[in-house]
Amino acid sequence: MIQVKNLFKQFKNAEHPSVNDLSFSFEAGKIVGLLGPNGAGKTTTISILCGLIKDYSGEVSVLGLPIQSNAESLKMKLGIVPQQIALYPGLSCIENLKYFGSLYNIPASTLHEKIRSLLQQFGLHEHANKLIKDFSGGMKRRANIIASLLNNPGLLILDEPTAGVDVHSRNMILGFLKSYNEAGNSIIYTSHILEEAESLCDEVLIIDNGKKVVQGHPAKLVAEYQTENLEGLFLKLTGYKLRDTL
Amino acid sequence: MKRILATYIKEWHLIRRDLGGLALLFLMPILLIVIMTLVQDGPFKDYKDHMFEALFVDEDGGRVANSMKEGLLETKQFKLIETINNEVLTLSKAQSQIRSGNYKLAIIIPKGVSAEVVNNANLVANEIARKMGMGASLPHREGRDSIQIHLMFDPVTKPDFRMAIMNAVDKFNTKIQSDIVLDRVSNIAKSETADTSSVDIAKLLHSVGIIESMPGNKKQLLSKMNSVQHNVPAWAIFGMFFMVIVICDNLISERTGGSWTRLKLIPGSFAHILMGKVFFYIVLGIAQFYVMILIGMYLMPLLKLPALVVGNNPFALFAMIFSISACASTFGILVGTLFSTTHQALPVGAISVVILSAVGGVWVPIDVLPDSLKTISIISPMRYALAGVNNILLRDGGWMSIFQPLLILLSGSMLTMFLAWMIEQRRSK
Repeated sequence: MIQVKNLFKQFKNAEHPSVNDLSFSFEAGKIVGLLGPNGAGKTTTISILCGLIKDYSGEVSVLGLPIQSNAESLKMKLGIVPQQIALYPGLSCIENLKYFGSLYNIPASTLHEKIRSLLQQFGLHEHANKLIKDFSGGMKRRANIIASLLNNPGLLILDEPTAGVDVHSRNMILGFLKSYNEAGNSIIYTSHILEEAESLCDEVLIIDNGKKVVQGHPAKLVAEYQTENLEGLFLKLTGYKLRDTL
Repeated sequence: MKRILATYIKEWHLIRRDLGGLALLFLMPILLIVIMTLVQDGPFKDYKDHMFEALFVDEDGGRVANSMKEGLLETKQFKLIETINNEVLTLSKAQSQIRSGNYKLAIIIPKGVSAEVVNNANLVANEIARKMGMGASLPHREGRDSIQIHLMFDPVTKPDFRMAIMNAVDKFNTKIQSDIVLDRVSNIAKSETADTSSVDIAKLLHSVGIIESMPGNKKQLLSKMNSVQHNVPAWAIFGMFFMVIVICDNLISERTGGSWTRLKLIPGSFAHILMGKVFFYIVLGIAQFYVMILIGMYLMPLLKLPALVVGNNPFALFAMIFSISACASTFGILVGTLFSTTHQALPVGAISVVILSAVGGVWVPIDVLPDSLKTISIISPMRYALAGVNNILLRDGGWMSIFQPLLILLSGSMLTMFLAWMIEQRRSK
């Protein structure tokens, strides 16, 4: 599904590369956790995978297609949930969804039905006409995910989708991700909540300083490194030093 | 087309809930138009449109003072005050009134003016008669230093006001003197030649006069430049360019809020989204200008100001407004793309619009700017915007008259859009 070889990216004026000779691959139909401390290169890697960053070196193919020559066709097959709430606060939830849906050139009736179904599924149908700025943090996160599902993506990439959300919203989001995966779709997601990743992911990739540290099934890795859980493994491999990024 | 339309509708939903933005786009220009038009109404008026209150001190009591008084009153521009508190004005009383600032102007006709004018007229008539070989001689004494009509001004009056009054009074003085001389010469000629035919020499001397006109379509009386005619289009254009604030805020909020990222993740040309955005702001700018035109036409007369005259070329005017709005919108896109935060973009956007408006002739007509600013003004799109609009509204011009400003504004729009695109491309690397 995803193949990355010798990926390198250094931003202008940055002291160190964000991604440094990173290579990994994932098979389709899995939930993959892309984990790492702050500044490890997770968001940069995701931005390259979804075609937002074009200026890099290395080989990257997604769903079997090299992204540099297939960026537009891949965008139609990908669903990206950015770390930020990528919605217009001044628009209602339904106005946001209609707008982004219409940009995918989805027929109006199909789009309408899709939005209705997703709002129902995410428990936002009663708040569809409320402005996003009036939503709670959890509601915003759910709406943010819905906006990334309008094109029925075969690969869903989520950047910290449960950051700062209430317990109920988090539970709902994780439940949805499981069912979405069970429907045959692939998911890559980043998170700092390692307990969540341990229970959700079929495979985890831990990166640090832009390089791959380890990749595998969470339970197997925990056993192999003889740690109590994924968090213990993470700390063992990346160290206890604070990682403050500016 | 669907993507452009969707973006247009999205922008509409955003702006209709943004009361601050709407106030900035509509209320602010209306306030500016009303206030600036009222403030500049006085300076824009010709002096012949004013009524002057003048103290009139007649120490002479003769023909000159009377003729001067009649002449000034006939113009209906002067209200002459000869008594205050039922007391006849004297030089010292007039001085006191002017000094205290109660009046701006006093006209003092000193004693002996009429006698001196008549004596001089007789001297001139005698000299003419002598040179023509006629023997007539009117009574006279030797000429002496001329007596002067005294104009006393409040020190706060402006030089051009003083000049206008001096010219008006001098004109009457000259007319009175020339009338008396011509009367004397005419009488001598009649008595010497026994010619009884009636010839009005004064009238003959004025057979070549001056008439004021302006080129234009006969269907409509062209308006002369006045405060409304200058300020309504000028501040409407300023208001259109102030859209830069709303566009910057919109663009930077999109970028920092993340929706910009989502837009870039959606397949299809990003140009469609930008076109939808620009198209919306162009329409908004056009609506803004027409609201200001309506203010000029219907609100100004209610404030005792002249109504705005809109010319005879609505289609050319629309094309001009379209190009101005396109230029203002793309300028907003450029500033919004150039800066990363609203803290940087909004002050720069606002100040740049104020500077461009000042050098572009919005505050005062470009003709009265110093030469250095006139040179700088070529960089201001508002200069071309105002020139094009004035060509239609004031000069009754057609398509050819707006060709140059239209071309410059549309070229400027394309250039700023291209620059914004370049900056955005660089940023996304």
